[in-house]
Amino acid sequence: MPLFYRIVKHLCLLLWSAFVVMPFLWALSTSLKDANAITSGATYIPWLQFQPSSQGWRSLFTSASTGIDIVGPFANSAMVTLLASLISLTLGTLAAYGLSRFEFRLGFIKNQDITFFFISQRIMPPIVLAIPFFLMLQQLGLLDTVAGLVLVYIALLMPIAVWVMIDFFAGIPKALDEMAMIDGCTPIGAFFRVILPNSIPGLVVAGMFCIIFGWNDFFFAFTLTFTQTQLLPVAIVSLNSSVTPWWSLSAFALISISPLILIAFVVESYMSRGSLAGAIR
Amino acid sequence: MLTLNNVAVAHSKSPLIDISHKFEAGKIYTILGRTGAGKTELLRVLMGLEKLSSGQILLDGESLASRPIWARDMALVYQQFINYPHLSVLENVAFPLRRQKFSKHAARERAVHYLRLVGLDQLLGRHPSQLSGGQQQRVALARALAKNARILMLDEPLVNLDYKLREQLRDEFPRLLKETGGNSVILYTTTDPREALQMGDEVVVLHAGRIVGAGKPESLYHAPTRIEVAAVVCDPPISFVTGTVSGGQLVLAGNNPLTGVDAAQLPAPGAYTVGIRPDSIEPGGPINARVVLTEISGSETIVHLQFAFGAAIMLLKGVYRFQADEVIDVSIRVGALLMFDQAGRNIHAKKG
Amino acid sequence: MYKSKYFFLLPGLMVLLAIIIFPLLFTIRVSFSSWDVFQPGLDNIGGKNYGRVFHDARFWQSLVRLSVLSASSVIAQYVLGFALALAVWREMRFRRVLRVLFLVPMMTTPVVMSVVWRTIFHESLGPANDLLGMIGLSVPWLSNNIAAFVSVMIVEVWQWTPFMFLLLLAGLVSLPKEPYLAAAIDGAGPVRTFWQVTFPLMAPISIGAIIIRLIEASKIMDTVYVMTSGGPGTATETSSYYIYIRGLRDFQIGYSAALSLTYLVIMIVSLTIIAKVLVRLLVAKDA
Repeated sequence: MPLFYRIVKHLCLLLWSAFVVMPFLWALSTSLKDANAITSGATYIPWLQFQPSSQGWRSLFTSASTGIDIVGPFANSAMVTLLASLISLTLGTLAAYGLSRFEFRLGFIKNQDITFFFISQRIMPPIVLAIPFFLMLQQLGLLDTVAGLVLVYIALLMPIAVWVMIDFFAGIPKALDEMAMIDGCTPIGAFFRVILPNSIPGLVVAGMFCIIFGWNDFFFAFTLTFTQTQLLPVAIVSLNSSVTPWWSLSAFALISISPLILIAFVVESYMSRGSLAGAIR
Repeated sequence: MLTLNNVAVAHSKSPLIDISHKFEAGKIYTILGRTGAGKTELLRVLMGLEKLSSGQILLDGESLASRPIWARDMALVYQQFINYPHLSVLENVAFPLRRQKFSKHAARERAVHYLRLVGLDQLLGRHPSQLSGGQQQRVALARALAKNARILMLDEPLVNLDYKLREQLRDEFPRLLKETGGNSVILYTTTDPREALQMGDEVVVLHAGRIVGAGKPESLYHAPTRIEVAAVVCDPPISFVTGTVSGGQLVLAGNNPLTGVDAAQLPAPGAYTVGIRPDSIEPGGPINARVVLTEISGSETIVHLQFAFGAAIMLLKGVYRFQADEVIDVSIRVGALLMFDQAGRNIHAKKG
Repeated sequence: MYKSKYFFLLPGLMVLLAIIIFPLLFTIRVSFSSWDVFQPGLDNIGGKNYGRVFHDARFWQSLVRLSVLSASSVIAQYVLGFALALAVWREMRFRRVLRVLFLVPMMTTPVVMSVVWRTIFHESLGPANDLLGMIGLSVPWLSNNIAAFVSVMIVEVWQWTPFMFLLLLAGLVSLPKEPYLAAAIDGAGPVRTFWQVTFPLMAPISIGAIIIRLIEASKIMDTVYVMTSGGPGTATETSSYYIYIRGLRDFQIGYSAALSLTYLVIMIVSLTIIAKVLVRLLVAKDA
């Protein structure tokens, strides 16, 4: 490949990488600032341009004095996301297996239509369901609770699990299920003893996607919780609208997304095994 | 004893039409037929993977169709090597035994015994993905044998293996299959006539969803009862030409009377289909034929010839070369000809 | 034939139906009522709300804004994503590192990153104007209509180009080699090879990726809420944001339900049309 194209290519990649990394570096740098570092304009490199301070980071854990609590929202986010993802993954995987292996018919409704019903939930803008969910949870006494959010998130995340797993199961030959049954397994036994152990890559991908979309939800957490059960996205937005110093805000932001960075590594390693290519389709 | 009475499967890619047969335990039945004849369909309906449209399947007098797939006491070796990817070779063979309520220890012991039988006792801890195709198929075979099931089915098990492996396993199979004892009905499907005739105690020929012939390999080979049987039972295939019997002569297509035919042996006058075995055409003789194609297969030569009355294949032992479009002299051994009437029946074959 | 198949499908299906059906039916029902802060309750006013939607200029303007925003960010994401995928395609050395790097923005929480971006776009203290100041520019990022629009677009592009990148890279990697050999033999240069070989072959995946991104982009709410609050004025007010204002701020539940459903229908219809048009456009290029 001619040198010109190579240079252009590498330049583009470099520029884009810089663009990708920039907000994170900025947040990191800002989190180490204090009032002195900000007043006269933008500064970037600690020690060179300003004196770093751990004020931002410390403020997150001393909620009594600063009023900024990260531990609570983090724990809530973790609990809600993990619970909802687990339930969605379980129910969604079972449903996906049923749809990929068996034939259902209710009048003119066939497998394809049921699958479409699951997947089409992703098209729904949150706003359409927000108010009814609000009233529904209010009736059930589940507003501002972990249980209420989990319930709503299940409806959000199950379609993702179904979408990924249906695709995945399509790649496992039915002959394997048949062999398991011939060898003495009932259909349910075949699923749990044979298919499931061979579905780990798909389950990981589906699980990761569920966790990501659950962790990142803002709108439903915003409408359905207030003071008792705050999730991270809601917490940071309320910090943003009140007078919160940038250094605390940046530190908060970085901690909020840190689990996701870990997940990015996991997802990438499964991608290089080739199983994500099919799942993303 | 496995009995099929008027078994039919209607809505399917290869439908089955009125299959009736009795299969005895302890014998190897090779089911021979072209692709699409219904061989796999037959096995699938026996397994319960397809639904019967009509008819009965009885095992020792009891209806098999009423039992679910997992309770039918069968074993299967599939053409695509199907093993459980997440289990080791040993666990693979032990899997059905554990489902049969064997203890872990007993299952393993039994699995080791059968793996030794197929020559894989050194690879117990490996996973199927680490094995070659032939080894994977042996694992599948060991698993099927270890079950000691009443019905043992093998669906073209050698078709995805390379030539040498296929030959080797073809010789081993009869011994291995008999190891299951006299208790199992063994069904082996194939499209390869050599495999069918070599391995089967009885050959069942399937054509378009029907059984068109069944019997000992030698009798099917020498005296195929129907034209559909003759078409599959020989490799290279039997060549068919139309002919008529009239005026004490056998006249082949295009008004070519065949010499050397004993008038007393001829059937009643009428139209017939004549079957010419490849080994009944010999070089040197009164008939002219043009060479269309020469194939050398191992130590045999297969020559595609064009006669005045149609095309036929000649099989020669040894390696010979002919020029394309070369005209050679051949003779046809009249005594080995097969004759089929308009309904496809072999006029010389006995009924039943 | 298999009775246990219901064991697999029904739990998930029933749970989803239970959680979704009531809200959906309720939304439909309440859109025909005048439920708001002053008169809570389900009365029936027929199609009055929908009539009001029809005359609601602010709603239709928000749709226009949404279309422009979604279309331009998705196109930008597509072009950039494709360029990146092409650059990484033959690059074996750094592919894994780049993949993780490019993957990260997609996984981050939109609101969280929007908070960070807000500090970046701060007109006097943020690095955006600081760096632009080096060439003498200073953009009123969040106080000028167009600049605000662009700032939202920049955040969207930053966040979602990786999605396009991944999808398109996966597609490129699975392309057959033969057409490229043929093109090389015919002496085609890189540009021609791209337009005649790569682009047509990637058409199905391109369409899929664009549709998926359009669906997600049309729901945009988080970024707008944090960065601009729909402003300045209504410059970045997307339909979701406007419906949110009417529903959860003004608490006009009946009316916002009507708005929601209208919005949903319009979205489904236009997405279907766009899908068909794209298929026609991109697949016809093959011939």
